[in-house]
Amino acid sequence: MMEAHANPDDLDLYALGTLDGEEKQTLEAHLRDCPACAQKLAAARQRSALLGMSAVPVSPRAQVKSALMEKVHAEKRQVSQPSPTRARKKRWGLRFSLGFGLATAVLVFTTFELARQDLERGKRIKQLEAQVAQNAAAMDAMGQVTGAPDSAEVTLLEQPGGPPGQAHVVYNARMGVGVYSGQLAPAPAGKSYQLWLVPASGAPVNAGLVEANQQNGAVVMRLTPGLVAKAFAVTLEPAGGMAQPTGPKVLVGAAS
Amino acid sequence: MTTSLEQTPDSALIGKVMAGDESALSALYDRYAPMLFGMLMRVLKDQQAAEEVVQDLFLQLWREAGRFDASRGSLPAWLMVIGRNRAISRLRGRRDRELLEEHEGDFASAFVSSANIEDEAARAQLARSVTTAMEKLPAEQRQVVELAYFEGMTQSEIAAKTGSPLGTVKTRARSAMQTLRQMLG
Repeated sequence: MMEAHANPDDLDLYALGTLDGEEKQTLEAHLRDCPACAQKLAAARQRSALLGMSAVPVSPRAQVKSALMEKVHAEKRQVSQPSPTRARKKRWGLRFSLGFGLATAVLVFTTFELARQDLERGKRIKQLEAQVAQNAAAMDAMGQVTGAPDSAEVTLLEQPGGPPGQAHVVYNARMGVGVYSGQLAPAPAGKSYQLWLVPASGAPVNAGLVEANQQNGAVVMRLTPGLVAKAFAVTLEPAGGMAQPTGPKVLVGAAS
Repeated sequence: MTTSLEQTPDSALIGKVMAGDESALSALYDRYAPMLFGMLMRVLKDQQAAEEVVQDLFLQLWREAGRFDASRGSLPAWLMVIGRNRAISRLRGRRDRELLEEHEGDFASAFVSSANIEDEAARAQLARSVTTAMEKLPAEQRQVVELAYFEGMTQSEIAAKTGSPLGTVKTRARSAMQTLRQMLG
């Protein structure tokens, strides 16, 4: 039985690729439902990737680079005229990219400034690094989703009587991955905004909590691959979110 | 490569690559190929195979530079994580790992603070820190980590290879991870 949150050792071993058997299956099941642990996994992957730097750097033979550059030079990059659908996706990509780029650059700069000024602020630095990691993961998911021809773009609009706001979701049902970006009025004290995927049949699926301002730091949804969305909605829920929606819909957008 | 490109941040070089600037790709190659190739040689122990992975990755970077334009610091992560996956896939015929991680896309988060390793001295410093952390592990723990990272073995496979009970391998792996977590943050 998985604990409330994953054991940090398990996350490290999973990131390293060495966890197997029942432990791996249990952890993967937990990660699907626990955004907090999924975020910790990003830090674990960082540590895992660093291990490669314990190998002594070695320059490849000169002819490796020569051959590469010859291929590059010979390869005429095909810049085809984008289709209308493709063009729209690229605009979304640009929207997200600008946000991620700005937020990531600011966070990276702030991180190193803090490190230089005061080592006691290590805790804050780790928080910033986690945000950078989240942005980088979001950036990559954005690249995958917006680049896929079978992704759908959904605009979520404010509802009568609800707070002002608007959001956008780019979702790929095949991958079960989506990217949410948007802006809402701040949630009241003790409340959280929660994003839901509304399937064609069955109960809404929890897609995670979203902040009021997700313009510069989008949320990546990782749902079950193959899950087709009829709509997306944001509801106002008790702080921390609920297993099923209980509060008013503040943003709604049909997927088709 | 011009001197100015040596000092140019990854993000700017990637932008130039997107615009078709071959010298920018050359600069990125000079910056990261040794780190990547060193790791690949450790995994593959085959110069030609490691060179092919290096060339494939940089060719892919040339073709898909747009994936990195706003994700500063994601490039070395991509090179190291995907490079390792491809190397282990070649080594062990485990295409599943490569597919899983490339599609999950978590690789970009692997070097969250990598902006500072654009500089050669910073890369060397970080490499020293990692090497020191590994050296401080007890030999049996270090062996478990190295078999996992450089040979892509699961705990069960490590137990079979070393002849140690699975429970012992798990304990060593967890102890090693705890130590590395403390040392590397």
